[in-house]
Amino acid sequence: MAATRSLPAGLPAATPERRPRPPRRRGPLLPYVLVVPAVVALGLALGYPVLRQVQLSLQEFGLAQQFGAPAEWVGLDNYRELLGQAYLWKVVVRSLVFCVVNAGLTLVIGMGVALLMTRMSKPVRLLAQTGLLLAWAMPVLAALTVWQWLFDTQYGIVNWLLTRLGGDYEGHSWLLEPLSFFFVATVIVVWMSVPFVAFTGYAALTQVSEDLVEAAELDGANGWQRLRHIVLPSIRPVLLVVGLLEIIWGLRVFTQIYVLQEAGGVTRETNLLGTHIYRLGIAGGDFGTAAAVAIFMLALTVVLTAPYVRTMLRQEELDELEGTAR
Amino acid sequence: MAAATAGVLALGLGLTACGDDDESPSGGGGGGDESAEIRVWVNGADTPDAARDWLKTTFEDQNPGSTLTIEEQEWEGLVERLTTALSSESETPDVVEIGNTQAPTFTTAGAFADLTDDLGDLGGDDLLPGFVDGATVDGATYAVPYYAGSKYVFYRKDLFEAAGLSVPTNMDEFVQTAIDLKKANPEPASFSGFWFPGQDWRNGVAFVWDAGGDLATDEGGEWQGALSTPESIAGLETVQTLMTEASGAPKDGNEADPQAPFCAGEIGMMAAPSWVTGLIEDPETGCPDMMANVGVFALPGSDGGPAPVLLGGSDIAVAAKSANQDLAKEVVALMVSDEYQTLMAEAGLTPAKESLAGLLGDDEFAQAAILAGSNAKLTPASPGWAQVEGSRVLEDLFVEIAKGGDVAELAAAADEAITEQLN
Repeated sequence: MAATRSLPAGLPAATPERRPRPPRRRGPLLPYVLVVPAVVALGLALGYPVLRQVQLSLQEFGLAQQFGAPAEWVGLDNYRELLGQAYLWKVVVRSLVFCVVNAGLTLVIGMGVALLMTRMSKPVRLLAQTGLLLAWAMPVLAALTVWQWLFDTQYGIVNWLLTRLGGDYEGHSWLLEPLSFFFVATVIVVWMSVPFVAFTGYAALTQVSEDLVEAAELDGANGWQRLRHIVLPSIRPVLLVVGLLEIIWGLRVFTQIYVLQEAGGVTRETNLLGTHIYRLGIAGGDFGTAAAVAIFMLALTVVLTAPYVRTMLRQEELDELEGTAR
Repeated sequence: MAAATAGVLALGLGLTACGDDDESPSGGGGGGDESAEIRVWVNGADTPDAARDWLKTTFEDQNPGSTLTIEEQEWEGLVERLTTALSSESETPDVVEIGNTQAPTFTTAGAFADLTDDLGDLGGDDLLPGFVDGATVDGATYAVPYYAGSKYVFYRKDLFEAAGLSVPTNMDEFVQTAIDLKKANPEPASFSGFWFPGQDWRNGVAFVWDAGGDLATDEGGEWQGALSTPESIAGLETVQTLMTEASGAPKDGNEADPQAPFCAGEIGMMAAPSWVTGLIEDPETGCPDMMANVGVFALPGSDGGPAPVLLGGSDIAVAAKSANQDLAKEVVALMVSDEYQTLMAEAGLTPAKESLAGLLGDDEFAQAAILAGSNAKLTPASPGWAQVEGSRVLEDLFVEIAKGGDVAELAAAADEAITEQLN
């Protein structure tokens, strides 16, 4: 938050001659005092780890250093070594594709469910919402255990059902081939994130002005046109935020992949950025290189989300303008 | 927003480094309080309850005011958990059990207190030498053996009889027996003549060693992956034969919970640690009725003697950052004491002292355990070995072999990865 907020604030400072135009009312000091604890907490909770991470990424830091041996500064060696590895780029591409597919599917399915909910009768909607809430509230590891059993090679109900339906799925391993592995991972990740999108989307949809939709209907707009030109633009800000979150979540997915890798599949061919960093760092004891990958991933996230953030800022500025015009 | 969320992300990943700043002067006989709460980590279900109870009662009787808590850890992910816990003065357990092949990772990093001066009191030359050597760096010993227990082969006597098979006496016979057993039991499709899930490299390495190969070798200070030598490849091909022709286990499965398929009647032979007997005998986890049909033997090698299997077992060590060094060492002394080790032996675990080997008894199980341990080997003694295990390159290799891939090609790729990680 801090970084994006400072952007518009920084603009007038850079162009002082424009400054006198909108005469600013000096606010009281109290709001700033109130915001200090939050800023300090953020700085400690986020700032320190990030700085430490940067520092680690510039050091040769292994297990011996973890237990107190002095760490040697190696400058950009960790980065140089990494960027030269073909494997890192494979993992990056894999992560990006996985992220885009998952974020896209989650958004489409989640919004679909949200639209559906606006058409449901109250009891049915309550039932659907309870189901979604349970899926959302289920602890990740518990959910993963269930999913693992569903797709289990020997005792899984998915194989049993497909075999009953005439397929040759007895003893079929769903995790053995990377594509099939990511199919299962996608099903699980999407299942876990749809409720959030559905609830947020539904909340936004209830705020869409009914008059506007009705007016469009009277003017002869069909369902698709009403959705495309009235409903979606009205909830655009919400869609943007949810989309942004989904992309970030899709990029940093870890638990699902890690657990599935322990259950089966080929680790090297199914590593995403999260598990790659973990296997380098905590499991492999090479914290310096792992930190370098983490910083790289951070940069990737920023680059990937920058257009979203820009759009959101512009939206906010527009809203502000509209607000002052009224 | 981006900065904030990115920060959260970095926070999650940054946790790895926490605690490395405490420059504690502890280690090496730093005393600590008169009375303290001692935390002991043991792993999995291996340690029997009788031994746990004895340890707690005895320690608390001998040290009034102090308490001892046993915290059971999962074997899965243990190295990761120790990496984070042992490096934090406030979080560290005082005494930890660690797999004997995992110990070098931590002994070379300075995570354990030096036990060299206490070795005499703990058992000295009587302690299993292979374990002490594995925990010794530059003349200093950082861990002592807890128990040994190399895997041996469980088999179904009734299925052997029905198929007219006898216990194999060398490697070729073993492979043939496994294949014949699978052929004799076409139903269910998941039946295994020899149960060999794809990720099980700890079992697979026995076939590589038996053929004269190795995982990695020390070439004048430089560690080199050795899986693509002709001997290793011959061993890996035996693995492939067993996996594709004799095993019905999932090609990418792991070796956890072998008692489940065994009790479901899907296994003719399997290599498992001795304490799996306990799981089969337990009415909750296993099938006590099946025990009448269970026989065991040590995996036979090509020369007719026992095959070189992975030396299984555990070490115990004192955390270097523990504030209660003296009390922690007392706990270690209790855990290698004759009384405690007798309780371990009663549960089928090979005791940590050579003089106690007789405690195992002389039934079929004891004989198999002693024979299997007599030719057991360790993973390469390189400090970088943990990285190899952490990256799961060996699990990957054996899964690809189970899938029916080209062994020579896969072994060459694995060697490249191993060589890079060891240096």
